[in-house]
Amino acid sequence: MNLIKKLIYLITALHLLLAVPAMAQQRFPKPEFESGYEQPDTITPEPRSLALEYFDVAVLLAVLALASWLALKKRSREGILWLSIFTLLYFGFYRNGCICSVGSIQNVVLSFSDVNYAISAAALLFFLLPLIFALFFGRVFCAGACPLGVIQDLVIVHPIQLPFWLRKVLGLIPYIYLALAVLYAATGTDFIICRYDPFVGIYRMDAPYTMVVLGVAFLLMGMFVGRPYCRFFCPYGVLLKWMSKFSRWHLTITPSHCIQCKLCTTSCPFDAIDYPSEEKAIVGSRAGARKFLLYAVLLPLWVGAGVFVGAKSHAYLSRANQDVYLAELMIAHPEVKDDPDNLDVQTFLSKGRTLEQLVEDARIVRKKFYTGSMIAGGFIGLVIGMTLLNQVIFRRRTDYQPNPGDCYSCGRCMDYCPVDKNTAQLKTAVPVMKKE
Amino acid sequence: MNIKDQIKLSSNVAVISGIFCTAVALLLLLNFWQLSKNDPLESNAMKVLIERLAQEPSNAELKQDIRQLDLLARKAYFNTQWQINTGSYLLLFGAIVFAIALRYYYTLKSKIEIPEQVVENELAAKALSMKWLLAAGGVILVSALAASYASVNYLDQFGREEIVAVEPPAQDPGIEVVEVGAEPVLLSGSDGVTTTDSLASSAPAETGTTSGEAATASVTATPAAPALPGASQIMANYPSFRGPFANGVSSHKNIPTDFDGPSGKNILWKTTVPLTGYNSPVIWGNKLFISGANAQKREVYCIDRNSGKILWAKAADNIQGSPATPPKTTEDTGLAAPSLATDGIRVYAIFGTGDVISFDMDGNRVWARNLGVPENHYGYSSSLIAWKDKLYIQYDNNRGHKLVALDVATGNTVWETARAVKISWASPIMANVGGKYQVIMAADPFVAGYDADTGKELWTARGLMGEVGPSPAYSDGLVFVTQEYATLMAVNATNGQVVWKDDMYLSEVASPVAAKGMVFVATSYGVLAAFDAKNGEMLWEHDSGVGFYASPVVADDKLFLFDTDGKLQVFALSREMNLLAESNLGAKITSTPAFADGRMYVRAGTTLYCIGK
Repeated sequence: MNLIKKLIYLITALHLLLAVPAMAQQRFPKPEFESGYEQPDTITPEPRSLALEYFDVAVLLAVLALASWLALKKRSREGILWLSIFTLLYFGFYRNGCICSVGSIQNVVLSFSDVNYAISAAALLFFLLPLIFALFFGRVFCAGACPLGVIQDLVIVHPIQLPFWLRKVLGLIPYIYLALAVLYAATGTDFIICRYDPFVGIYRMDAPYTMVVLGVAFLLMGMFVGRPYCRFFCPYGVLLKWMSKFSRWHLTITPSHCIQCKLCTTSCPFDAIDYPSEEKAIVGSRAGARKFLLYAVLLPLWVGAGVFVGAKSHAYLSRANQDVYLAELMIAHPEVKDDPDNLDVQTFLSKGRTLEQLVEDARIVRKKFYTGSMIAGGFIGLVIGMTLLNQVIFRRRTDYQPNPGDCYSCGRCMDYCPVDKNTAQLKTAVPVMKKE
Repeated sequence: MNIKDQIKLSSNVAVISGIFCTAVALLLLLNFWQLSKNDPLESNAMKVLIERLAQEPSNAELKQDIRQLDLLARKAYFNTQWQINTGSYLLLFGAIVFAIALRYYYTLKSKIEIPEQVVENELAAKALSMKWLLAAGGVILVSALAASYASVNYLDQFGREEIVAVEPPAQDPGIEVVEVGAEPVLLSGSDGVTTTDSLASSAPAETGTTSGEAATASVTATPAAPALPGASQIMANYPSFRGPFANGVSSHKNIPTDFDGPSGKNILWKTTVPLTGYNSPVIWGNKLFISGANAQKREVYCIDRNSGKILWAKAADNIQGSPATPPKTTEDTGLAAPSLATDGIRVYAIFGTGDVISFDMDGNRVWARNLGVPENHYGYSSSLIAWKDKLYIQYDNNRGHKLVALDVATGNTVWETARAVKISWASPIMANVGGKYQVIMAADPFVAGYDADTGKELWTARGLMGEVGPSPAYSDGLVFVTQEYATLMAVNATNGQVVWKDDMYLSEVASPVAAKGMVFVATSYGVLAAFDAKNGEMLWEHDSGVGFYASPVVADDKLFLFDTDGKLQVFALSREMNLLAESNLGAKITSTPAFADGRMYVRAGTTLYCIGK
């Protein structure tokens, strides 16, 4: 193992270590001044003006349109790269990673579950536009319009290919994250996608230590595992994947027909190229009918198990809710009422509300969690069952082609194809391979 | 610079930046460890100094030392915070340099690879991934399940104790209970009192007390609780907001229609109570009850309705769970907006603090409890109804919406029914629908009927929206509800079907009233409108120019309605508009009048008027 590799492992390990104590960091106690001091009023930053919000929507629309044109028509990886840099600067550093389509899922969910919450038109459009584009042109949002995606895309140094099984197992995480994000948003508990956004700290240049460390850890990992957050965490990616699978037009590796040269096989850092079916696999797949039936029958069982586990888990999942947390804390430890340092409890007591009322509120929240957790559990069960079922479904492929669900339309593979887009013939000189 | 030099340079930069990152990361870890180990605020030196200060509170030098140490602690904290923040960004900078150098290094060192060098066998890869997926799925579900069993459900524990405490004794009415070693005791009803009309009417208490005051009925050897009033007694009194069953129709006759407040004509007496309130008087026998409140205290007043003398005034204080600081309310609602209820045995009051309290007719406190401070941006205002052995409370607030039935004797919760509605300011009414009593309540988005015995939701009818203030009215199988900006609608009380709707005149505050096949709506901009109860046809309208907050009420076969300026208008219950009389009280009126034996009682803030001849 050379020095560089050792360094990489050491830095990664250290960052993971850094993230652990950072979680436990305490807030500094509020100063106590005897007299003569008045606490300054807290100032809420003014929201962005409506006109500028619509300007952001217009920019997003333009970036999405340009990304679609660059990926599908122009077939320019370089163009997409420069568009990524624009997104990094505009939606990332200038707009501080907010508003973002990934987090907008929660706004949409909350607007459905809480009649008192009105979603802004900008947030709704940020949610819908990437999905609409994905339905027509694939995941062009991921290619050049997502500030979370492009920062990872730009740091890819030496991507390694992950084993198929590992990709499938880690691929379950975004579904679980989506289910939990929807559950917590629908119950008005928290916007966990925003809370655990790893890159917003970097974009704002003024984030808590944990957020910066989390972001740096993801970027370090991203040097060797292409877009780890997009592939194995992003909940919005789940929706984009569903849309993109049905995309009317999608990026293709070859502008004409595949000549099976295999030059593109190592081009994708995200393992999103499907290979042509092997003859052995085609023969083997015929024995899969029985397995298919078995896993199809098991599907309702997975859903049922998920619903059952969800119902059982609702109590501890609901503890993320402030009311539930506080009610349980005060029931389990009545002595906290006398702890002047416990700001949560002291704030609650100063409002003049009783524990009975808090418990009642907490019960209402928990009831919502009961229903929500069952739905979330059923969804996770369904995802596991469907992923298993997908393993026995065999799709015959004849060419090397991007997987419409997994492909981020970054356009790297296009540069590897020796077929000329104008003449549909082999390029006169096969380009020197650029390994990214 | 040739390619070898470039490779070497990028390699060196990567190594140096990597070492830099490692060093910064280590320093950050050290910094955190130091911070967690040495908290200057928790230092022994500080503790010693604080203890000494307790003994020598006037030692100025000691105070100075503590301030110095505290300042030092704060400086140390903010210094550490600066170090952590700076370190984080140095780390980020180092990581960027490291990434660029590495990328350059790998780009320079990259070689043309043979395509598809290692290709996984698709079937084998899928078979392997299935095993891993099964294992992962199992681990996810099992660990979630294990976590659920490992955690303690404190909320449920809290709830169980409460439910056990409030469960009523499971005894059927009229069951003879024989205790070993004791005389047989007849216990009727859930708490030892008779609860049916027939039993109540046959009880000596009812026939013996013309005033309807509490009476004790002794059965066999053991004294039993006083008999609860039946429907006939309820109808003969004025026990809730808008009279019997809160429906706005009173059976009292000879109600005066001609009086004058400023000159004192037909004003029999005026009484001032200490605290103000917007609740309306309720009457049982010779006793009239109102309540008042301010930020400091809440009180219940019992007034002799013949003389106007305050018989007793009792504070609603020392109630467990009552907030030290009352919730904020608007001036036109206050903390004593809900009217009281009485059953002739006890009187029940609720305040904007969530305190519910019961006194017997002599002013002895029977029970008191807090239902949880209502979160209500104007102030809680739903009035009470007492019927049989239950006290019904519409508790629709910003947090939690429910119908609560309390045991009238103990104040314990008999049942609660959660309601899928928004906050409401309306009051419940009681209606006898096909021989079964229903509690009927209005809120956004629906009016609903609940079984008065079990609390079961029997029907709902959607159509209301916004801030619902007017209470429902009931007559001949139809429920009438209205709300400004929503609708006036008649609903079948057996199945919740909307019979008709109209939106010509809608009420904002005053509740509608229904009688003689008509329904009357008084608007906050001064129009009284009459509609045919069966089909919603508008019969007549009368614009008096001054708005109505007090609800129209029917007595003596006439409709009585005070406007906010204190002018009473009396209308005939006819299908043509017929204004019988107008009288001026000379005081702002927002409360609804009460009636008894040829007299009318109306409240204006702290003043209570008795009008009669």
